[in-house]
Amino acid sequence: MTTSLRIFFRGGLTSYRALFTWLSPWILIPTFIVEPVFQVLFFAAVGRTAGVNDNSFYLIGNAVQYAAIPCLFAMSNTIGGERYSQTLSLLLVSPARRTPLFLGRALPVIVNGFACSVVALAVGALALGVTLAPVTWLPLALVVAVCSFACTGLGLVTAGLALRVRETAVLANIVFGVLLIFCGTNVPLSALPGWMAAVGGWLPMTHGIAAARELAGGSRLSDVTGLIAQELGVGLLYIVIGLGLLAFFESESRRRATLEIA
Amino acid sequence: MTVIEVTDLQRRYRSRSGVFKRTTRVVEAVRGIDFAVERGELFGLLGPNGAGKTTTIKMLITLLLPSGGAARVLGYDVVEDAREVRRRVGYVFGGDRGLYERLCALDNLRYFAELYAVAPREQAARIGELLELVGLKGHEHERVEGYSRGMRQRLHIARGLLHRPEVLFLDEPSIGIDPVGARELRATVAALVEGGTTVLLTTHYMFEADELCDRIAVIADGRIVAEGTPDELKAGSSAGQVVEVEVYGSAEFALDGLRALRGVTSVIVEVRDQAQVVVVRSGGVGDLTQHVLDALEGVNRGKVTARQPTLEDAYVELVAGA
Repeated sequence: MTTSLRIFFRGGLTSYRALFTWLSPWILIPTFIVEPVFQVLFFAAVGRTAGVNDNSFYLIGNAVQYAAIPCLFAMSNTIGGERYSQTLSLLLVSPARRTPLFLGRALPVIVNGFACSVVALAVGALALGVTLAPVTWLPLALVVAVCSFACTGLGLVTAGLALRVRETAVLANIVFGVLLIFCGTNVPLSALPGWMAAVGGWLPMTHGIAAARELAGGSRLSDVTGLIAQELGVGLLYIVIGLGLLAFFESESRRRATLEIA
Repeated sequence: MTVIEVTDLQRRYRSRSGVFKRTTRVVEAVRGIDFAVERGELFGLLGPNGAGKTTTIKMLITLLLPSGGAARVLGYDVVEDAREVRRRVGYVFGGDRGLYERLCALDNLRYFAELYAVAPREQAARIGELLELVGLKGHEHERVEGYSRGMRQRLHIARGLLHRPEVLFLDEPSIGIDPVGARELRATVAALVEGGTTVLLTTHYMFEADELCDRIAVIADGRIVAEGTPDELKAGSSAGQVVEVEVYGSAEFALDGLRALRGVTSVIVEVRDQAQVVVVRSGGVGDLTQHVLDALEGVNRGKVTARQPTLEDAYVELVAGA
């Protein structure tokens, strides 16, 4: 295995273990299992009461969208955590290539987001009595994985900003709220004002949630490949932006000493 | 062969404050310094807090860009050839932080071994060797969050040496370590230099610099105010003799009398443990002791010591005069 591949796989997993402080069972179980189910149940109850949509609509939207929690927070922590443990300067004076270094950190996060969503889907379906045909589970899992990938791309952007600003949890919370509103999680895009739907089209999750809903409604995987491709494209776009920001702010940190004074 | 070459190196920090009325403050942290370190040398950079030592090191390890001047490490420019410099240098700073607390020592070292491209076949042996060197063998599977400060500092040293750097930058490595740990650290550093590693060390402990350094540069307010071997710096001190007298109770009334003595260059009172110590430095060569004791007539005195100037005496004089 080449150095870059080792940094990507082994380094990525090690830094995830080192920096993502939520990996204690006391945080992990409530955050990744209990909270997403609460979110699903809450919006399903609101939607049912208002008579807007059925349980399946809210189950799919919220379970898939909840992957954003690990994707945004864990990625922000890959830089914020380094800053907190004062290892950031050591990381930046290492000769390691930055692309495998930071992309490797994204891989465990994608798996985390995927697992979180799948559990929320399964538990939420049981709790709400939503029946998903066994044949849809595999395509649904694929869509959830693509959504986690795309949202981790957005997380990489927040990680890049963490090289310039100290506090990223606030930003991650705001971005999560934006995804909740703009991605069609609980309100169909067709019901949103035009500009909001247009913004949603450039955010991760939007196309993935739409694809997941179609699959749950009986469509085949081949029917939603366009949506999946759009979700992948959005994810790639954010990854490129994230890597660009990381490179830019690293260079700025050398010029303006922002690692110390940010 | 010159390993570190610093020419007119400068660094300014610009900071802004205020929300509506923004003010910009410019701090000249390093104001055009020059020095060179030869291969296998242990070079000390001494100076008070805020003198520019850490900023200088940060420029040499490529963490900061200079605002002016140039620096080369192993022939590579720290601006143009940053990656080449990074491959070849190690950096260790003092203090508790700078380690992944949730990981064990072994995982910390494995991770940095990957970052520095230590060959996988060599990693296990190299890590084992370093754990042995810094005395952490047997603790390598424990999480770092349970380590003492001394253990953390030793792990820092091991991390800095993983890729066998040709040049090692040690920024106050012994800060906060107990005397036994500090002695072991000095022995480790000395062994590294003996093995051919070039070391640039910053420290506030003068005896440490005196014991370890081949040459020293004293930096104050961003400028180098003196450079030479420890003996040369001591010889350059105007203090030909130093008399120290332990006193109990107030000695303030006698200080003016001491300062008036012929040849006396400085009189200071230091607090050491339970006692105060009056330190009288003289540029003359004659015995000053009796005159000092006469001037302290009526003061409750303890131990009296007459000695040659130390590196600390030279340092205090240089920094005070800067």
